[in-house]
Amino acid sequence: MEKRNLVIIGSSGASLPILISIFKNMPKLRGPVVLIQHMPFYINDAVRTNLAKKTDMTVKMAEADEVLKPGTLYIAPSEMHFKLAHNERIQLENGPKVNYVCPSIDVAMLSVEKDPAMHPMGILLAGVGDDGVKGIGHIKRIGGVTVALDIQASTISGMAEDAIATGSVDFVLGSDAIRIKVAEHLGQPK
Amino acid sequence: MKKTVMVVDDDELARLTVKKILEPTGLQVTAVESGEACIREVQKGFEGLILMDIMMPGMDGWDTIQSLVDQGIVKGNIICMLTGKESPDDRMKMFKEYILDYIRKPFDQKKFTQLVKDYLSYL
Repeated sequence: MEKRNLVIIGSSGASLPILISIFKNMPKLRGPVVLIQHMPFYINDAVRTNLAKKTDMTVKMAEADEVLKPGTLYIAPSEMHFKLAHNERIQLENGPKVNYVCPSIDVAMLSVEKDPAMHPMGILLAGVGDDGVKGIGHIKRIGGVTVALDIQASTISGMAEDAIATGSVDFVLGSDAIRIKVAEHLGQPK
Repeated sequence: MKKTVMVVDDDELARLTVKKILEPTGLQVTAVESGEACIREVQKGFEGLILMDIMMPGMDGWDTIQSLVDQGIVKGNIICMLTGKESPDDRMKMFKEYILDYIRKPFDQKKFTQLVKDYLSYL
């Protein structure tokens, strides 16, 4: 049985330019990408539009009950926690902030379940605090691949640096190498 | 895309430097010397990119952001910290949904201008 692949990216302040460079000229990949970005709600659509200009992937705000489709980049909307049910159905939940944020990267990554038919990749970009550190550890424990942004690439190192310190990170990479890793993990059109 | 920037810094030289760099590129720069003055500008309707120093007499950068959030007037603004402090202190994580970058002084003029324009494109 062919494994389904999934990439889930946690991103915070100072990461928007890095995200843009990761998705610049990215072809429509053969799996879904989920983006949890800490940002104010009033720039959600602008972030979606700016990313959509860079990639052939379909870029959309995640909607409740939607099933993940290949070739699509889903952006978690602000002020709702994002979870996956059975690794494929989007759940958006109201709830208190976790790690001072909503959506929380930890909440999203911790919802990914161990599944022999699914191979997740968790990526943590720049940001203060430690949101995403537990999530990356979870992705690693369930057999996924974990990546953190090389802290040299950002003025804010907290999240990625803390995740690296736990020993749960497989690859520490700059944006160009992350771009290649994502494309390899999800596969490009044949 | 909005073309309005506010620099909030108690250091006059820092305010003048930002104005001198950004105004010739077509951006409209409001320069204020304190957190209190920043809040007054936002209350009067300023919307755009706010470049916020951290250490200022009176309200510091974090107190100012807290007040903007508490008053519900942060909407329509993107905040980037613009500071000489090497790394963010712990209070930044409380506002990470509102702060899109942490720019350290001194900065490269060309990269700074591009970054400011990139962030304004989200408004």
